[in-house]
Amino acid sequence: MSDDAREAVGDYQFGFHDPEHSTIRFDKGLSEQVVRDISELKNEPEWMTEIRVKAYHHFMEREMPDWGNCGSLHEINFDNVTYFLRSSNATENDWEDVPEDIKNTFNRLGIPEAEQKWLGGVTAQYESEAVYHSIREDLESQGVLFLDMDSGLKTHPEIVKKYFGSVVPHTDNKFSALNTAVWSGGSFIYVPKGVHVTMPVQAYFRINAKNMGQFERTLIIADEDSSIHYVEGCTAPTYSTDSLHSAVVELIAMKGAKIRYSTIQNWSANVFNLVTKRGVAHENATIEWVDGNIGSKLTMKYPAVLLKGEGAHAEVISVAYAGKGQHQDAGAKVHHLAPNTTSNILSKSISKNGGRSSYRGMLQVTPKAHGCRSKIVCDALILDSDSRSDTYPTMEVGNSTADLEHEASVSKVSGDQLFYLMSRGFSEEEAMGLIVNGFFEPFTRELPMEYAVELNKLLELEMEGSIG
Amino acid sequence: MKYADMAVPSRAQHLWRYTPWARIHPTSVDKVPEAQPVHWKLLEGGSFVQGAPRVLIDDDIGRVFLSELGGSAQTLETSGHHEIVHVQAMASGHVAVGHLHLMMKHNTTVLIHLTGEADWAGLHITGEVSANVQCAIGLVNELSANSKLLHCENWSIGRDASLELASLSIGGFRCKSDVRTVFTAPGSQLTQAISVHGHQQRHVDHHIEIHHLVPHTDSSLHIHAACDDQSHSISTGLLAIAEDANHCDAGQVFKNLLLSEKARAEAIPELEVLADEVAAAHGAASAPVDRDQLHYLMSRGLAPDEAIALLIEGFMQDGFSNLKQEALINEMRTRLTVHLECELRR
Repeated sequence: MSDDAREAVGDYQFGFHDPEHSTIRFDKGLSEQVVRDISELKNEPEWMTEIRVKAYHHFMEREMPDWGNCGSLHEINFDNVTYFLRSSNATENDWEDVPEDIKNTFNRLGIPEAEQKWLGGVTAQYESEAVYHSIREDLESQGVLFLDMDSGLKTHPEIVKKYFGSVVPHTDNKFSALNTAVWSGGSFIYVPKGVHVTMPVQAYFRINAKNMGQFERTLIIADEDSSIHYVEGCTAPTYSTDSLHSAVVELIAMKGAKIRYSTIQNWSANVFNLVTKRGVAHENATIEWVDGNIGSKLTMKYPAVLLKGEGAHAEVISVAYAGKGQHQDAGAKVHHLAPNTTSNILSKSISKNGGRSSYRGMLQVTPKAHGCRSKIVCDALILDSDSRSDTYPTMEVGNSTADLEHEASVSKVSGDQLFYLMSRGFSEEEAMGLIVNGFFEPFTRELPMEYAVELNKLLELEMEGSIG
Repeated sequence: MKYADMAVPSRAQHLWRYTPWARIHPTSVDKVPEAQPVHWKLLEGGSFVQGAPRVLIDDDIGRVFLSELGGSAQTLETSGHHEIVHVQAMASGHVAVGHLHLMMKHNTTVLIHLTGEADWAGLHITGEVSANVQCAIGLVNELSANSKLLHCENWSIGRDASLELASLSIGGFRCKSDVRTVFTAPGSQLTQAISVHGHQQRHVDHHIEIHHLVPHTDSSLHIHAACDDQSHSISTGLLAIAEDANHCDAGQVFKNLLLSEKARAEAIPELEVLADEVAAAHGAASAPVDRDQLHYLMSRGLAPDEAIALLIEGFMQDGFSNLKQEALINEMRTRLTVHLECELRR
């Protein structure tokens, strides 16, 4: 790591990188030919190529957002991004067959160990494509499809064609257009009617190369009365130049189904993380986003739920940690489109060492959505005078029977709490760490235990040296 | 910057999202029509001086437009001899514009009654609260039911001063208000209360900005909007606490009561906090009439309409509960009661 990079990103434990051994690497920059080449390389059906090309033109025509951190967004040089890099010729289903250096990376990240202990399936994506994929046999025998997105398109084109872009169309925003044009990798999951996937399935995304763009596309369909918990983790090496991560995630929860999507985003502080995540919940279905944002230079991510069927429920729990040079612009959007739908949004953020955290949310109740209930709580802690915290919530209420509440507060760590803990023998730093862990506790208790432990460790590392 | 050189603001900006500039402009957006003056009249206390300074914000099309329209301009000076100063602003004709500057050098309450049947009214109020002064300003918008209103205010509050701003919005069919307050010296306080009655097809859009630029300043904002029929209320608030503006205590509460299927309400209370030693909070709630409260009143013999009218009145009266100046509270509540008597019990 160069001194500049170290200065920029601080002590980031996943900041190592391996020598790059790509089998195919596109030149930097984006053109219609690049989009067509990606599609051709993957031997995709004509309809997908057409969608990609349409999306490319939309991306080129669409202006950059004029809200959020416009200054940072304009730093992105789309001509300096590598849009496709293949590092392994195949997606393996045995760790032993994964190329040695890539396997080392995932070993250092603890992925194979986690798979053996507590996961129902794993996809590991390295640069543009999945290099490893596995699913437990019992799930496979119940008809659960858990594939990387490229394989999903090859083997189940009819399902992909039906749902691809149905929740997040390429016209949604500039970055969803970019993703649709150059998407590669991601997960494809279909859970059949009545099947409950009791162990979480996990995807791990790793960017290794410099100036790399990762554009995975995830599509999860939970059929009637089924359930699944999907967990994703993200890391990247530390470079002094920037990388771009622009994913699109589409969730479809059919009648009575439940999808929980948990993310621990820990990109290094040179990654732009501009992600569109949205789910549709049909009658009595539940979609839960559990979203942790620890890393990246700039994150703009607002997990959304369209409550389309009567009795549907949305739950969004998000935490953000903004350290030096970071802006976590995260939040949640819930659209109540049907009667008797309910939602809860809990957002917690911490700003430290000049970091900025923003909550940006939208809660909409349409005129036909009678009897909806929603509660939003946003709490922010500012740990020093150089940091900043903002909240930009929006409530649009078009139905008189809706019962909605929103509350937000910004404060520093309470002197009383610190005094209480220190009077019981903790140092100031330990006391501060305990308070921060307690502040994030509503989030960590929703994670699988291993993730919760990992997150607490990460926070401890981030909090080191925060006193004095 | 001249109005002709300004771009029509994008709807991506919160300020113009729900009431685009074209909908509040009196004619078409490329024109600055001829305007008649709003007639100012002092009913009690104070004295007028011809002319008023303008506060222009480069990127704010509303203030630039009002300035170019011209109209009447008065500066109100308080003498300190009257506890309450009553000002009447009468807007008539096709387009009527008035500018009023308030020099608040004494502990006084000023009540401004905006009335008239103008098709379009523009009102720009600016004010300075001198150090150590405790004052209160009330604005009652009682324009005719067919009027459009563009209303801007700019306030600066001096050291150890206290300002209470109350607004009752019951007139006009499309109203856009943009009220901005800046704390320029420590020890000062702002208490702001807005009550909106949305009825028929009223569209009422309030944008409130409070800028804590200095430490030890407190602000409290309450907006209560009761929306009936096909009315639409929008409340956007920006509470900004600057770097080093420590020891500020700021809170915003937005409440919407929705009374009919076609009524709509939007609440966007924004916080931007750059200092760490502060208490800043906001809350927003939207709900129909509480069934328990309705049941309670009906069980005591009130008809459903009477019970609902009483609950609406209570809800809107409560919008002024954070104020302390008795004279201001009484005046606003009386106006509100009279309005509701006419609207709800006719």
